[in-house]
Amino acid sequence: MQEMRPLTVWERMLAIDRRWLYLTLFVSIIVFLLLPVRLPAVISPPVRKFYDAIERLQPGDIVMVSSNWSASTIAENQPQLEAVLRHLMRKKVRFTLMSVEAQSRDISLRLANRLAKEFGYEYGKDWVHFGFYTDLIVAIKGMTNDLPATVKQDVKGTPASQLEVLKGVKSLKDYKMVIDVTPSSTVPYWISYRPKNLIVLYCPTSVMAAEAYTFLDSGQIEGMITGAKGAQEYEQLLGIVGLGTRFINGIQFSHVLIILTILLGNLALFMQRLSREA
Amino acid sequence: MEWLQQFLPFSWDRLSVWMGVICTLAIYSILYRENPFYRFFEHLYIGLAAGYSLGPLLVDIIHKYWIDPLLHGEWPWVFVVPFGLYLYFIYSERYGWLSRIIIGILIGASAGLFFQEFASRYLPQLNSTLSKPLWLTSANPNLVISNVINNWIFIVFLLAVLTYFTFSFEHRGPVKRVATAGRWFLMIGLGAMFGNTVMARMALLIGRIYYLLSDWLGISIGGG
Repeated sequence: MQEMRPLTVWERMLAIDRRWLYLTLFVSIIVFLLLPVRLPAVISPPVRKFYDAIERLQPGDIVMVSSNWSASTIAENQPQLEAVLRHLMRKKVRFTLMSVEAQSRDISLRLANRLAKEFGYEYGKDWVHFGFYTDLIVAIKGMTNDLPATVKQDVKGTPASQLEVLKGVKSLKDYKMVIDVTPSSTVPYWISYRPKNLIVLYCPTSVMAAEAYTFLDSGQIEGMITGAKGAQEYEQLLGIVGLGTRFINGIQFSHVLIILTILLGNLALFMQRLSREA
Repeated sequence: MEWLQQFLPFSWDRLSVWMGVICTLAIYSILYRENPFYRFFEHLYIGLAAGYSLGPLLVDIIHKYWIDPLLHGEWPWVFVVPFGLYLYFIYSERYGWLSRIIIGILIGASAGLFFQEFASRYLPQLNSTLSKPLWLTSANPNLVISNVINNWIFIVFLLAVLTYFTFSFEHRGPVKRVATAGRWFLMIGLGAMFGNTVMARMALLIGRIYYLLSDWLGISIGGG
């Protein structure tokens, strides 16, 4: 009977059960999340432009926040929406929320309610939620022509004509900007069908961000917050500690771990091939 | 003991957190191996998401834009829903032609909207590309050398990638080399997209772990 050849260290490395890698990742994220250090962010130009655009707003200006995310991307979109709403409330800007994602209707309403209490924002007077829309194009075109007639009523059933926040607002043309917080490709619709005076700001998940650089380059969107990493940069600009800041240790070090495992895996494969050829 | 009372699901808030924890652990159990616990919660998630969307649909769309106007005397709306239901005649051999009325309207509207979308979406990008300054001139006093280098990189990459997608003639000689470079540039772009995808997936995992540590176990994260 032929004696079994002992496995080399490279072969053993390649034969590691992937579940050990999952466990290592899980444990390392816990450790890095618990670290009592906060890594500083380098502010990227799209985040800086986003911040500057909101800084230019005047108290009383009105902004549309299109919140289109569900529970599945809460880790990326919630830190973004929270940071942006905080900034709007600091600037004493009026805002209206809308969603083309059913879950986001309630998630964004709950989040805005919590922050409104903190900043003394009054529902109906300083902000309002228009609810859920099935078709974004129809909603944008309708609001561009006649906003109160399209909206009809808010999520609480108050007619649009009785909402103080919409005082003097006839259409989307009276808004200063739209902020799209989304994991879906909704921003091209805002770019295409909005009134041309409306500035577009974008908060995509990291997956969607790469595609948006063409819009940034052409000036079709003025600023962008990319996922939780972008939210951390934005929180740093605002001088607050939010979810983005809390997640960043885990994000940074998990990337280091992934890069290390890719390098080790490739090295092991390379060395195994070398030893076979020898 | 007080900590234990706050930790256990003795209130509605805590019960919802515990439910979230059970759902999270059930979904992640697939990483160990396929199991019925995971399968059950996977179906539960899909069912909940579908069921949940029905509520806003009924309240914010059907009631607001159909039932309410009808109750306020706007009777022509009565025709809208039956007209929309014509779409389901697609399953009937005899009345299938009725569905084509709705399909025709939808296609016509989409085509019309697409013209506007195309012009608003791509023409500004085309304009931006064609108007990129490639030299330092007195007409552009704000332009610095780094902008010019950036613009040249953009134009070179763009032309190389476009060459790769030119299929009207065989790629030979210098054209082949440019097309190959274009393919490499595309790979770099796709690599950046993949890197972003990894970051997104990691953030989602971290979000769940944060929920387990912070909301469930009450541990302070990221230095408070």
